[in-house]
Amino acid sequence: MQVFRAYFKVVRASAGTIALYMFIFLQTAILVSVLNPSGGAGSFEETRTPIAVINRDGGAPLAQGLADYLADTFRLVPFPDDPEKLQDALFWRNVEYIATIPEGFSQAFMAGEEGVAIQKAVVPDSTSSHYVDLRIDKFLNTARLHRDFGAPGVNAPDAQAHLVAAVRKDLSASTPVTVTAGAASDGTVPGYSHYYSFMSYALLAMAMLGISSTMMAFNKAEVRLRNLCTPVSVRRMSLALAAGHGVLAVACWAVLVLFSLVFHGKALLASGRLWLYLVNSLTFAVVATAIGFAVGSFVKSGSAQAGAVNVIALGMSFLSGVFVPQSIMSQSVLAVARFLPAYWYIRAHDAIGALVGGASSGATSVASGAASNALGSIAPYLLIQLGFAAAIFSVTLLISKERQLSRV
Amino acid sequence: MAMHVFSYRLKCLLRDKESVFWTLAFPVLLATMFHFAFGHLMTGEPAFEPIPVAVADGAAYQSNFALRQMLEAVSADGENQLLRLTVVDREQAERMLAAGEVVGVILPGEGSDTGDATSVSLMVTQSGIRQSILKALLDEYLHSYATVSSIAAANPVALFGLIGELGARESYTQQVSFSDVLPDSSIGYFYALLAMTCLYGGFWGMRNTNDLQADQSPQGARRSLAPTHKMAVVLCDWAAALVVSFGEVLAVLAYLAFALKVQFGSQVGYVLLTCAAGCLAGVSVGTLIGTMVRKSEGLKVGILVGVNNLMCFFAGLMFVKMKDIIARNAPVLSYINPAALISDAFYSLYVFDNHRRFFTNIAILCVLSAAMCLVSFMQLRGERYASL
Repeated sequence: MQVFRAYFKVVRASAGTIALYMFIFLQTAILVSVLNPSGGAGSFEETRTPIAVINRDGGAPLAQGLADYLADTFRLVPFPDDPEKLQDALFWRNVEYIATIPEGFSQAFMAGEEGVAIQKAVVPDSTSSHYVDLRIDKFLNTARLHRDFGAPGVNAPDAQAHLVAAVRKDLSASTPVTVTAGAASDGTVPGYSHYYSFMSYALLAMAMLGISSTMMAFNKAEVRLRNLCTPVSVRRMSLALAAGHGVLAVACWAVLVLFSLVFHGKALLASGRLWLYLVNSLTFAVVATAIGFAVGSFVKSGSAQAGAVNVIALGMSFLSGVFVPQSIMSQSVLAVARFLPAYWYIRAHDAIGALVGGASSGATSVASGAASNALGSIAPYLLIQLGFAAAIFSVTLLISKERQLSRV
Repeated sequence: MAMHVFSYRLKCLLRDKESVFWTLAFPVLLATMFHFAFGHLMTGEPAFEPIPVAVADGAAYQSNFALRQMLEAVSADGENQLLRLTVVDREQAERMLAAGEVVGVILPGEGSDTGDATSVSLMVTQSGIRQSILKALLDEYLHSYATVSSIAAANPVALFGLIGELGARESYTQQVSFSDVLPDSSIGYFYALLAMTCLYGGFWGMRNTNDLQADQSPQGARRSLAPTHKMAVVLCDWAAALVVSFGEVLAVLAYLAFALKVQFGSQVGYVLLTCAAGCLAGVSVGTLIGTMVRKSEGLKVGILVGVNNLMCFFAGLMFVKMKDIIARNAPVLSYINPAALISDAFYSLYVFDNHRRFFTNIAILCVLSAAMCLVSFMQLRGERYASL
């Protein structure tokens, strides 16, 4: 008990740095989840792509009609006709489509001239650009049909206004859409999913830092020699230290889980996947403990420790797809990442996210009968993580034993 | 004499292995990780993929020639392919939807209360851009239908010509671009990283103040006794820190540009100017913190790292859109944040043709650095110690 208590006295000394990592993590996690609000299921809503419309053909009713139609269909972001601002907006995706109606467009269109076109600045070949293209083309194709085949009156002075009215009437029909439960195969990722993905980084950094700091304190030559003189057996001391490592790692995990409940509690409980996320992250806590143990056994100075913690935590997280989804990483990087435990954490994490039964029907379908099934689907990944932890533990023990013997 | 102080200072700094790790090796490592994580995304957005969709087969679909023709047209192989169409029976289609193999199921003959054979409806599992495209395509079919009806009512004579023209989809959009650059925001990560490297020059500035102030270290006490003019020592130290920092930033820049192929545009001179201004700001921040905080070295390093991390966070190092969010919602913050100014300078060199915004950034950066240096130098100059 004395050793155990001493352990947490040492931890208190490094509590500030551990808290710093947690602060950085929480701040990032909150911002990301605030910026990516969980997609509400239930009724279907058309994506209102943010676009900017620059109408240089201002007075003409046709151009105005098209601009109005786009404003009704998409989310119009008002922007001045300033290339620098527009370029900025497109780069940061504040708008995904900039449509410029050139001067004289309506006149040329009504006259049936060849090659009249709306100028678009887009992210090349992006999905949203195809989407907006569809709507613009349909508007103008419909206008073309009315221009060429409509009632003879279309050549009257207010022809453009008539044309726009006719087109808008045709385009008022809307396909009925029903939403059913199904696999969340694409689209919005709920905030708690981001949280649990990023959490592996924070958990790893915090556990590594805490465990290695205390180990370094206990492994200092003088301290170690002094401790060896005590009537406490080496075995008991090692066990107390091991218990300390375990409690510390679980405490870090529990704090992070607590914050996940604070920020995403309702959504997590509704998804019915909370317990799977808990099992997975607790498994990873074991891995983090093992890595912390290894770092604590091998590093000597505080600066080496800080370097090791940052390089290992950041490096592994980046390579394993903690910050960037694995699905968009290159195959060669992923092939290497298989040799990292965080890769398997994320595999399990993604498998949990892909379980059938989205937010709408999740609670019933996942929680009850499918429970064992769900655990079964991520069990291999959990076992691989535990395997990594066991391997890191044994190699570390072996090497440090070897070292101790050679020192005598 | 000044040369002597300068060259020895240079040696001292370069032998500080730990700081060299943080200011040089760490950014290189981080850049490598960024590269592995999203380096291959540099070419832009993931290209558009045809949307997998299932159609519930049946009498309603087979008899609806117009719908069939439209769907087949947009799922034909080629540059303009929008859909990957599977025609199966309804149960199978719903199973595919539930398994996530298709984005939506098109249900011909459904969706109108009157049981109209020409109606159509869509079944999806969630809202999203791909689902919206599906709906837009089906809307298009309904709209064509409406057009035919209204023209048939108003001008029946034209109907024959109209039917022939109905299938012709003319494209009315034409792509233009403001400049030759790809709008690729992930490049912002690398710019923020380079900004971080510049600001990490603060470690050298702080190290200097530690070795200069008599109450901070024995070296400081010893150097305060030396007959060299204090200002000369301060300036030599400062110059040495700047040289080391600039050298490191150049190394990281070279690594980014040549090994990782990060685009910086073609204006090498201006890129180097940005690096220099960035180092100046970095060293100044370190010097300022080092002179203002008179506590243990650990605390000072902690404050420096915390301040740098916060500035880089707001410049988009951890989340690239952060920089733009700040710039739009709290512009003042991005004008006083050296990290945001540095990465914005790189950004505007890469993206814009004129240099107005670039020089605004550099000017503010220099003013900020000058102010910080001035405050620190005043502080360093006027030091008297009652006892040590």
